[in-house]
Amino acid sequence: MKIRNLLAGVVFSVFAASSLASSGLAGQPAPDFALKSSSGQNMRLSEYRGDVVMINFWATWCGPCRQEMPLLDELYSRYERVGFNLLGVNIDDDSNRAMEMINELGVSFPVLFDATKEVSRLYQVDAMPVTVIVDREGNVRHVHQGYKPGYEQKYLDQVRALLRE
Amino acid sequence: MTRKLLMSLTAGLVLAFAAAVLAEEAVSPDAEAARAASMAVDAEDAASRDQFRQLDQDVQSLKKEVLDLNRDLFLLEEELLFPANSQVAFFISMDIGEYFKLDSVSLKIDGKEVANYLYTDREAGSLLRGGVHRVHMANLKAGDHELVAIFTGQGPQSREYRRGATMNFSKGIGAKYVELEITDRVKKQQPEFVIKEWE
Repeated sequence: MKIRNLLAGVVFSVFAASSLASSGLAGQPAPDFALKSSSGQNMRLSEYRGDVVMINFWATWCGPCRQEMPLLDELYSRYERVGFNLLGVNIDDDSNRAMEMINELGVSFPVLFDATKEVSRLYQVDAMPVTVIVDREGNVRHVHQGYKPGYEQKYLDQVRALLRE
Repeated sequence: MTRKLLMSLTAGLVLAFAAAVLAEEAVSPDAEAARAASMAVDAEDAASRDQFRQLDQDVQSLKKEVLDLNRDLFLLEEELLFPANSQVAFFISMDIGEYFKLDSVSLKIDGKEVANYLYTDREAGSLLRGGVHRVHMANLKAGDHELVAIFTGQGPQSREYRRGATMNFSKGIGAKYVELEITDRVKKQQPEFVIKEWE
């Protein structure tokens, strides 16, 4: 009985910790940051206030990221003209590997390099990939940890809803 | 005979008049009640409108009070965090910028990195149009301090450019303002980085 209770407690605490981690930022103003992008320009999040912004944290060693990125690129090219922006934040230590992967996948959205992991810490990134959706007011509205096939439909619904606001 | 007829006619008229008066008297309490009721409804409407207006005014004044409080809190917080006497502010400005395209500025005070700012194209454009950017604000104790500013960007012929500028300054009583100015040195066709204190 005691072991069962203990197990239930552990399961509950793991669940609570994971839901807290994912919801810690939701509803809060998105922390501002500036990073160097793959085009060589510096990009600052606050300059996109008024647009719906998706921030996707990814790494070259992350398989689901590789799966997800072309789908995100599709979303970006479809809604870019109506006020949607996508910033891919790469957390690799070596930005050259990230550049290789971008070229290989042929994604068109801006990719920023967070080699010092400052921005990842700011957004409490403890899984890979992490996708944060920021509304026109600059508030974090949705945080998705990890990627499974089918998540892209969630992203689509949420982005469309925020674009309509 | 005629007289009798006249008398009966007169009596009939009198009776009819009396009946009409009586009938009117019998109806009037209802009409009055209805009028009174409608007046009461009007009065109630007016009262509720007044109440709504009052409520709206109260909400507006509450909003204003919240905004005022917020402002006071902000100012208090700033005063507490950055007391005017020990405050030092560092500003970046740019003049012409033909030989230098600003990318980032890093500031070190007494060997410790205190700010590292990346400039987007828009921000660099604002500096070129005469804007001044407060890159860092700190509290320093009175005495001598060393400031090292490292500027990175694109120099002449779009080459990577990294230059440092150092200044020793003395912090006395009262706030201090330091400007880091990027200008063009036409003779040398090079950018120049000048640190100066505002009087």
